[in-house]
Amino acid sequence: MSLDAIPIRIVDLPSGGGDRSAGLTGNARPLLHELSASVQRLLDTGDTTTIDLSALPLTPADLDWLRDKLGEGEIAMTLQAGGESTLSETACPGIWWVTHRNAQGVETSQFIEVAFVPELARAHPEDVAIGRESLEHLISDLE
Amino acid sequence: MQGPLIDTLARQGISRRTFLKYCATLASMMALPPAAGRAMAEAMAAARRPSVIWLPFQECTGCTESITRSHAPSLEGMIFDLISLDYQETLMAAAGHQAEEARLNAMKENKGKYLLIVDGSIPLGIDGAYSCIGGRSNVDILKEAAEGCAAIVAMGSCASYGGIPKANPNPTGAVSVSDIIKDKPIVNIPGCPPIPAVMTGVLAHYLSFGTLPELDDKGRPKAFYGETIHDRCYRRPFYDQGKFAKTFDDAGARQGWCLFELGCKGPVTHNACATTKWNGGTSWPVESGHGCLGCSEPDFWDAGGFYKALSMPADPLKFVAAASVAGAAAGVAVSVANRGKKSAAKSAHEPTTLTDLEKSS
Repeated sequence: MSLDAIPIRIVDLPSGGGDRSAGLTGNARPLLHELSASVQRLLDTGDTTTIDLSALPLTPADLDWLRDKLGEGEIAMTLQAGGESTLSETACPGIWWVTHRNAQGVETSQFIEVAFVPELARAHPEDVAIGRESLEHLISDLE
Repeated sequence: MQGPLIDTLARQGISRRTFLKYCATLASMMALPPAAGRAMAEAMAAARRPSVIWLPFQECTGCTESITRSHAPSLEGMIFDLISLDYQETLMAAAGHQAEEARLNAMKENKGKYLLIVDGSIPLGIDGAYSCIGGRSNVDILKEAAEGCAAIVAMGSCASYGGIPKANPNPTGAVSVSDIIKDKPIVNIPGCPPIPAVMTGVLAHYLSFGTLPELDDKGRPKAFYGETIHDRCYRRPFYDQGKFAKTFDDAGARQGWCLFELGCKGPVTHNACATTKWNGGTSWPVESGHGCLGCSEPDFWDAGGFYKALSMPADPLKFVAAASVAGAAAGVAVSVANRGKKSAAKSAHEPTTLTDLEKSS
């Protein structure tokens, strides 16, 4: 029997009546201003910003609203590292929506990252050096 | 001592990105700013493994079970690569005098630097004779090991507050670690058992920052015990709307309504079950339809009945005393009547009510 077969239903939050505004607290809107300031800082100084979405009082409906407003960009990356993570550009370049999942596919944390490239996408110099070493081994094996 | 952690992990096929991701999630779970995740990753990647001695006293091994079943191959298991676990009766290969020797050696070699983990309460009755290891009482071993340690982690409700061994009438005179040791930093990680991620979070914090995390007035890390189960419960909106399940199988229960009236101790219990959940994020007690027992609070076993709502008077011992004064015969009559009602309900397939559960106990 799957878990879905257990008849426990989570209904809308108190304000809910089934309409689209159900569960919205209004807490997501100020984040847009914060993001705007963060993008400006990125342009001015190159400093990146990370916002931990699970640390904020946002309901699932708030998160959906925010995700919807930010839209989809051109790049969506998938990272396979102890479970799948997605790093998606939003319609506003420089703003990335980052979702981490564990090996069981359960969402473990969610961030908005303001950066030219998300931190996790960048290769670490030490790893690059190790990669080159194995490439050299590969070449010498072929000779 | 081995090399930096990141090399150990790499040998096990755990990539730097996996580790960074783990640290980001850990920081988020501990309500640390996102930059702390990066700082933790840097500090831990370079960290060398500290010696850890784990002493089991009056306990059921449930805490060890919880930690070691932290959903392999999840990254919680990885944290064990961060430490050098030099003594753990359940996990170590050595036994008898060899095991005790390993403990003494680790204590001598890492004097003033090792981390001491304790699970189980410590009995003080008849000079501590109720629980002995290698012919020595628990209290003796604890005092000896605590002397040279850097800090103590009291793992589980027994080590933190006395737990079930301390439950009334406490036949062995069980006490907590902090009742005995007064001159060392102690962090309590209560729960019966505690959540694995809480344990690894505290260890990660210690390794990254060299200090124990901020604690509440009961010695628990605020990051995990700062809010009640009720604060973060997904059934909370029903409480606010006054929608309560009256039995475990009524229409309200099927709708997932609040379990307050069925004895849920969520409103007075500080723990992270509602957010971290159990078994790799599968579910947690309230989600599977049973109220919170309050296992991470001191003396939860004597809190007045798991099925008694918090708003009801909660001192069963006083109740018993009053009954015996009023007349033992009346008490017997009530219990016979209840037993009768219970079996009648069983044969008629009537729903057993909260009152039936309470009175038959």
